[in-house]
Amino acid sequence: MKVTLISIPVLDQEKALQFYTQKLGFLVKKDLPLGGGNRWLTLVSKDWQDGPELLLEPGPLHFEPCKVFQDALMDAGMPWTQFDVDSVDTEYDRLTKLGVEFSMKPTEMGTVKVAVLNDTCGNYIQLVEEL
Amino acid sequence: MTYYEKELERVRGLVYSNEGQIKTVIGIRNFINKNYEADLNLDFLSHIQYVSKYHLIRLFKKYYGQTPRQYLIDTRIEKAKARLREGMTVTETCFAVGFESLGSFSSLFKTKTGKTPSQYQKAQLSRSK
Repeated sequence: MKVTLISIPVLDQEKALQFYTQKLGFLVKKDLPLGGGNRWLTLVSKDWQDGPELLLEPGPLHFEPCKVFQDALMDAGMPWTQFDVDSVDTEYDRLTKLGVEFSMKPTEMGTVKVAVLNDTCGNYIQLVEEL
Repeated sequence: MTYYEKELERVRGLVYSNEGQIKTVIGIRNFINKNYEADLNLDFLSHIQYVSKYHLIRLFKKYYGQTPRQYLIDTRIEKAKARLREGMTVTETCFAVGFESLGSFSSLFKTKTGKTPSQYQKAQLSRSK
């Protein structure tokens, strides 16, 4: 067994695609129609194109409990997913200039530095840098 | 303050309150990052931070979840992947990232990545053409 896929629930796949590619800088890996306007839509990291794929999963749109869980995480300010970066400060500056909103500015936590951004699709995402 | 921020504060107090220890392990990790190709052993690492080697292993594992040795090996494999992508030969790569035997490098590389160094290099170079 291999770990190759990470799922992120998104309300609007097209909107998520724009955000994750244009702001965060991911690249489209697979995009195929699944009927009913749904897509199997995966992205990869620009710097690690043979790494795990990120699935933009339209669960919240079709499966109520998924929406409930997503909303509860949002209310708690809790990121479910995190991405590694070389420098949290650099990414914070870059993304802030692109209009991305952060719920938590770069913050040191012992051996890591973290920041939390809003992906505009219902999720908080944590950026992490190991110090 | 969100629930998440409160939780972070709680964990910070629970796990990250000892600044001296944190400085020590960050120092060791940075040293490994900068000197992964050298012949690093625990006696040497513990000497740099003035702690006993058993204490060092325990501390590193406590904060990074793996031993310094495991971290060093992972770092070397990542650096080896980068060099192979740049077209360096397998033998040169092996020694450039600090391994001392081609056989153990190749088998370790295969265990960690699923491919031998030459298979990995072929796949990467054909991809970029």
